[in-house]
Formats: sequence, C-alpha cells, structure tokens
Amino acid sequence: MATVTEAGKGEAEWEVKIPEKKLKDRLFYENLKAMVIDTQMCSRCLTCVSICPSELIVNEEDIVDFPNYEEKCLDCGACVRVCPRYDYKPKSGLGDYIEFTAGKSKRFKGQDGAMGTEFIFSAIDMGLIDRGLFVDRDEQWRTSVFHVRGKEQLEKLPLGGTKYVFADILPELKKAVMFSKVGVGVVGTPCMVSGVRKLQEEYPVFREKVKLVVGLFCTENFHYNEVSKYLIEKGVDFSKLIKTDIMKGKFVATMTDEEVKFKVSQLTSILPSGCNVCTDFTAVESDVSVGSVGSVAGFSTTVVRTEVAKEIWDYIKKMGNAEVGEGKVEELDFLINHKKEREKNIKQ
Amino acid sequence: MKKVGTPEYDLSDKLKYHISALSTAAKEMALPLNITTHYPRERKRQPDCFRGYMLFDPERCISCFQCSFVCPANAIWMKDAPSGRYYPTVDYGKCIFCHFCIDSCPGGALRTTKIHDVAYKTMDEMFTSTEEMIEPPEIIREDEGVVDYVIDKEDLSLKRTKEKDELIVDIEPSQGVPMVSVCVDRGSCLACKVCDMICESGAVSSVVEEATMTVKMAIDAEKCTGCGLCVKECSMQILRLVRK
Ligand SMILES: Cc1cc2nc3c(=O)[nH]c(=O)nc-3n(C[C@H](O)[C@H](O)[C@H](O)COP(=O)(O)OP(=O)(O)OC[C@H]3O[C@@H](n4cnc5c(N)ncnc54)[C@H](O)[C@@H]3O)c2cc1C
Ligand code: SF4
Ligand code: SF4
Ligand code: SF4
Ligand code: SF4
Ligand code: SF4
Repeated sequence: MATVTEAGKGEAEWEVKIPEKKLKDRLFYENLKAMVIDTQMCSRCLTCVSICPSELIVNEEDIVDFPNYEEKCLDCGACVRVCPRYDYKPKSGLGDYIEFTAGKSKRFKGQDGAMGTEFIFSAIDMGLIDRGLFVDRDEQWRTSVFHVRGKEQLEKLPLGGTKYVFADILPELKKAVMFSKVGVGVVGTPCMVSGVRKLQEEYPVFREKVKLVVGLFCTENFHYNEVSKYLIEKGVDFSKLIKTDIMKGKFVATMTDEEVKFKVSQLTSILPSGCNVCTDFTAVESDVSVGSVGSVAGFSTTVVRTEVAKEIWDYIKKMGNAEVGEGKVEELDFLINHKKEREKNIKQ
Repeated sequence: MKKVGTPEYDLSDKLKYHISALSTAAKEMALPLNITTHYPRERKRQPDCFRGYMLFDPERCISCFQCSFVCPANAIWMKDAPSGRYYPTVDYGKCIFCHFCIDSCPGGALRTTKIHDVAYKTMDEMFTSTEEMIEPPEIIREDEGVVDYVIDKEDLSLKRTKEKDELIVDIEPSQGVPMVSVCVDRGSCLACKVCDMICESGAVSSVVEEATMTVKMAIDAEKCTGCGLCVKECSMQILRLVRK
C-alpha cells in the first residue's frame, strides 16, 4: 500500500472498537430496540438519533424508531455506544459542585432568572463558544431547536422559557458541532446532559467542540400529542398561552387573560415511561445546572459544577450581568428524593 | 444645485476635432471598414479555452458527482448507466457556461468545444443525455471563412482568412492536483462503512474482526482517485483530501 506523502495530515489506516452485542446475531438497532425502547426505558434524549449515520428517527408517536432497519441499519453500533439507557447507570442526588447559588439576569427574560440564557450568552461574549442551542416554539407550542449566535436573535423569538414538551436538541447539537469553529453551548434536561456526556466519552469531536453543557432541573417532560390534548381538555387555548410552569406541585398555564392550574399528579397518566425510570433531578453531569426550586421567585437556582462554569459565573458577576441571590440546598431535597424513588421502577 | 456646463474648447481645439471628424468620414467613403462578422458565412475564431458546448468521456469519469455538486445553476443531473456507474447529463436550459464542472472534474472527463450555436426546438431537447455528450452534435456549417479581430493601438480591424475553424479543440484535459483521502480523527469514526460503500474505486476497506470486535479501516492511496465522495458522505466529517 502506498503511503500518504503529506505526513501528519491524517491516517490511511485505523481501527475502531465496536461494542459487544447483548443479543448476538442481531443488528445493533435490534439490540437498542430490545434493551431500551421495548423495555420502556428510553428517555427520548435522541442521542442515538443524533449519531446514527443512517435513518434512525423519532416517529409520529414521538418514539425512537427505524422503520426500514433491516435494509438500512449499517450495524455500526454507534447508537448503542452512546445511549445512556443501554447500560443504564442511574444518577441521582445533588452531585458535585463548586458553588450553590442563585442568579437573576439583568439582560434577559426567561422562565425564572434567565440564567440558562445568561450562561450561554456570557460564554459567547467571552469567546468560549460561537453558538448556543435554544428551544423555540411555534403558536401551537410545538418545539424546534434554534442555533443562536447573537443577542439580536433573542429579541424576536421566545427562546428562553420552559416548554413542557420534548425537543430534538441533540440531533441539532451534532450539526452545530460540525459547523462550529470555536465551540458550542447547549441547554438541556438531565437525560440530554447524560447523552452529551456519552457522545463526549465516545467521540473526540464532541469533547473538542462542546464547551458548555447547561443542565435544567427536571422532574418530567411530556410528549407533545399527549400533553396538548390534555391541556386543551383543561381549557388551555394555545393561541393565548404565554407561559407554562410547574410550581409547588401544580401545573400552571398562563394565558393572556386567564390562568389554568391543576395538580401535576393529574398528569401521571401521560408521564412518559422514560421519565418514570429517571432518577436525576439536578443534571448531575452538567457544567452548571439551573432550576426554579431552591431560590426565591424571579431567580434561578444555579449549581456551578465545573471549572468552565465557574469561569463563566465569575465573568457574569464581574460584568454585572446578573444579580446574585441565595440558593437554598435543602429546598431541593423533596424533589431529589421524589426522583430517587423512581429507582424502584427500573427493571433490569 | 450644481450645474455642469459644456467643456470649454478654444478655437485651435475646435479646428483639430473638426478636421479629424471630416477625415474619418472621407476615409470611410473611399474605403468602408466593416467590423461585424458575416455569420453564418463566416465565423469568429474563438480561443481554445472558449466556454462552449461540452463533451464527455466516460472512460475518464470516476462518478464522483463533483461536477453536479459544483454546478451553480443546478444544470447537471447524475444518471445511472447500465454499468451501475453514474454519469453527468447537462440541461442546457439551465447551464450558464461557467465551466466550473470542467475545471473541477478530477479525471478530466469533461471538456470544452468552440460550439456555441446549437439550436433546439423544445425545452426538453435541451436536456442532454450522457450518450449525446460523448460525440459532438451534428452541425450544419455554411461558413467558408474565419474572422480574426486584430487590435492595434489605434483601432480595431478584421483579418479574414478562407478556412474552416476546427470547433473540436484538441487540448490536454486538465490533470488537476492528485489528491488522496485520509482520516483526521480516527477516534470519531463510527465504523459505519459508508465510505467503503460509496467509494467507486475500491480504495476503502473495512474489515470486521469478530474475535476482537474491531473494524479495521484502510484507504489505499494507490487506488484512491481523490474524488472526494467519501469526504462528502462521512457523517462525522473526519475524512479530508490531501495532496498525494
Ligand atoms: C421539561 C422541563 C422540566 C422542568 N422541571 C423542573 C422542575 O421540576 N423543577 C425546577 O425547579 N425546574 C424545572 N425545570 C427548569 C425550569 O423550568 C427552568 O428551565 C430553569 O429554572 C431555568 O430557568 P431560567 O429562567 O434560568 O432559564 P431560561 O433563560 O428561561 O432558559 C431556559 C432554557 O430551557 C430551554 N428549554 C426550554 N424548554 C425546553 C425543553 N422542552 N427541553 C429542553 N430545553 C428546554 C431553553 O432553550 C432555554 O435555554 C424544568 C425544565 C424543563 C425544560
Ligand atoms: S446504522 Fe448504526 S447507529 Fe444507526 S441504528 Fe444501525 S447500528 Fe444504530
Ligand atoms: S434513551 Fe436516548 S439514546 Fe437511548 S434509545 Fe432512547 S433516545 Fe436513543
Ligand atoms: S425526567 Fe426529565 S431528565 Fe428524566 S427522562 Fe424525563 S425529561 Fe429526561
Ligand atoms: S477513497 Fe474516497 S476520495 Fe478516494 S476514490 Fe474512494 S471515495 Fe474517492
Ligand atoms: S464514513 Fe466516516 S464515520 Fe463512517 S466509517 Fe467512514 S470514516 Fe468512519
């Protein structure tokens, strides 16, 4: 074999380790389906969809699917390598942190203190990343993912704020990683944060490019079809809906003229099976976690976990981008324990 | 408002310009000069690099799709041939004759001609199949002479020669820079074998070793034609073309 003369530019031969199959003689997709999707363990984080070089998708029922896998699955095993629920090691608790605090952005409006938004934009201002991924929504509250590179984009779109429906963030993250020259920042639920970490563990390109992972506190999320049907029955008019929130065990839908409130426990019937086995409330694997509980209204509880996040937090304070509040660790206990109890739902 | 007046000439300037105009008129009366080509009885001689109707040599095509990717007018459609290979077809209803396709073809399979006067009766006819691109189209020629434009420092004049210009140019196809595909981030390879499946030249190999659960990937630089297909198709974007 001829050698490549432009030395140091790349390699002509290399090896790739592929994972062991739990079900021998079956395709990797069949393994994923049998171990994760059919067992109702799938969190719909879409890490697998993001990495699949073929046609693994999320179908109309909002379930991970590969309609013509017999023909199209390349049996590469990438999905199995990155799925956080394939070899599920449930995480829980508050996790390690450098600083437990609270903040309220002076620049942005968000769900609570807009610290999710603030962290991404401060990282852009610092030159640490050149784009961040935000969840946008349409009039009907269907989600889409937006690549944000400058503050102007935020003025036009409802990018901050919580949408209680799943969003296809990780497939967009892969695109962002391919486009980005500097680095990418991403905000996501704990299951997505675990997915990003798996991608980083397995593939250097994600280690190199994903510079900031902001985790959100999360008890559960919902499938669009199910939650929208439920909310319409409860009298929510999507065209007037401006904010959804879960506060003190109540789901609150704020519309321009009225408010619909009911106990979250009423939503148990549509609780996604993946959330039912999810024990991570605080996104322990993130660089920084933000949430509502643990601080006063208008502030976001902020759990600074890694050096990168600390650097950004110091920058935010130095620039006076946010008011600093007080975080109360013990206020998280209830929800942390509530989610830890879901361990018993995991059948293995 | 600022007013722009006529330029001011003195008497000697005026005389000079009038004499020059009168002498040009007299010259034209005695010896009329014609600077238009009498097409189709004569043709203007085009340079060899003229961007005209294109010809295609399937022997040189490596089915890399480069021409269709690069075409800014979206005029090139790759169609499968009975051999299983893909070859370009050109829609002359769209082609803007930029010849980016010719310039980018790594195999030199596309080349130019000096043909610029093909007539079509319908739009559909402008869609030129691969077969039609292999041989030059039938041309009915009425020309008996060639016209060269000669530019001297004062003026433009015509040189008429009694000969037929050869429209099919015999120039060496461009060789391009020999390139080869390499992997720049082995750790991020999915072992999906898409590169192997897409490669037309059999340059990529991916061998699964069941015993160790590894996939051995290799690109044979000897066989690689540098077409860049694998580089485009790799979903992890870890392949690059480098000089051979
Ligand atoms: C599904 C879900 C459940 C949550 N449950 C709780 C809870 O039980 N208790 C609690 O204290 N906090 C919970 N949160 C977090 C809380 O709602 C706020 O997102 C958080 O406090 C940050 O607010 P902020 O004003 O700092 O962020 P903002 O500046 O408003 O930024 C919010 C970020 O969330 C992203 N986002 C919005 N919707 C989604 C979505 N569907 N999926 C992924 N990302 C999204 C946006 O892109 C934005 O980057 C939940 C969030 C989500 C998305
Ligand atoms: S092609 Fe690869 S990543 Fe996609 S489903 Fe098949 S094994 Fe999984
Ligand atoms: S848990 Fe995530 S990675 Fe695993 S199958 Fe479900 S969506 Fe895919
Ligand atoms: S509870 Fe939240 S983090 Fe857990 S699986 Fe559901 S959406 Fe993901
Ligand atoms: S290895 Fe890639 S660049 Fe080389 S011939 Fe094959 S497809 Fe083309
Ligand atoms: S296409 Fe890319 S990721 Fe897939 S095997 Fe080839 S080099 Fe690896």
